[in-house]
Amino acid sequence: MSFNIEAGRYVILGSVDGLLATLGIIVGVSVTSAQNSVIVSAAFGGAIALALTNGLGSYLAESTIEYGKLSITERSLLRDLSDTYIESQTRRKIMRDAFSSGAASFIGSLVPISPYLFSVGSTIASVSLSLASLVILGVYAGYISKRSYLISVIKMVGLGTLIVIAVQLLRVGHLVR
Amino acid sequence: MSQIKRLVLDVLKPHEPTMVDVASAIGDIQNVDGVNMSLYEVDQQTENVKITVEGSDVDYELVLRTIENLGGVVHSVDEIIAGKRIVEEEETLHDRG
Repeated sequence: MSFNIEAGRYVILGSVDGLLATLGIIVGVSVTSAQNSVIVSAAFGGAIALALTNGLGSYLAESTIEYGKLSITERSLLRDLSDTYIESQTRRKIMRDAFSSGAASFIGSLVPISPYLFSVGSTIASVSLSLASLVILGVYAGYISKRSYLISVIKMVGLGTLIVIAVQLLRVGHLVR
Repeated sequence: MSQIKRLVLDVLKPHEPTMVDVASAIGDIQNVDGVNMSLYEVDQQTENVKITVEGSDVDYELVLRTIENLGGVVHSVDEIIAGKRIVEEEETLHDRG
């Protein structure tokens, strides 16, 4: 159970980040009436950058926190825990979380891009698919937290919708000619 | 050297790995027939446990390395029985007093 909860954190974080940020790129670029190839290129570039930065960011954050926790345990035990099973498990957790974050981010990014890859490219298709994915993520979040599935879904979809609206309202792309 | 039949250790360990994990790891050591582990004190970061290990020829160094690898610290060896058979402690007048 503890493994599912810990892994779930980065799956949700990475997926939502990748999905909504890439959707934002697609919505923003499509405002300029760009060709599908330009949209896909921009979205993929964003997806890769997000995956790498999320993975690296998670690695740095988890290293800091987990080794901080380890040093607290070392102080309580009055001994060094280097080269022990505990330290190897700590390193393993850090790598697993960093990979989960980066991979979830990239997979999340593929959702809004996929309509363009299968030549049904339109912003509406990307938005619809992304919202459907947020429903699935909301159900997963409800399962992990053991709270109301409905409220989790409403939170996920509601926040996702707000972001899409925000990007549409900003519409910076058409101001730059 | 005499064979160690029983070892009783006072150990300070972190909460993770759990007592189940530590007892299983010691139980897997060659020539260890059984392990008894009991918790007698706990705080936010650590727990004090008494570990009794019995076997035909317990390797003390290996038991120590196993405990330390799992984050434990052996505070003291509270009892040790070595030789050809198990000899229990005899109560004397001094103990009864």
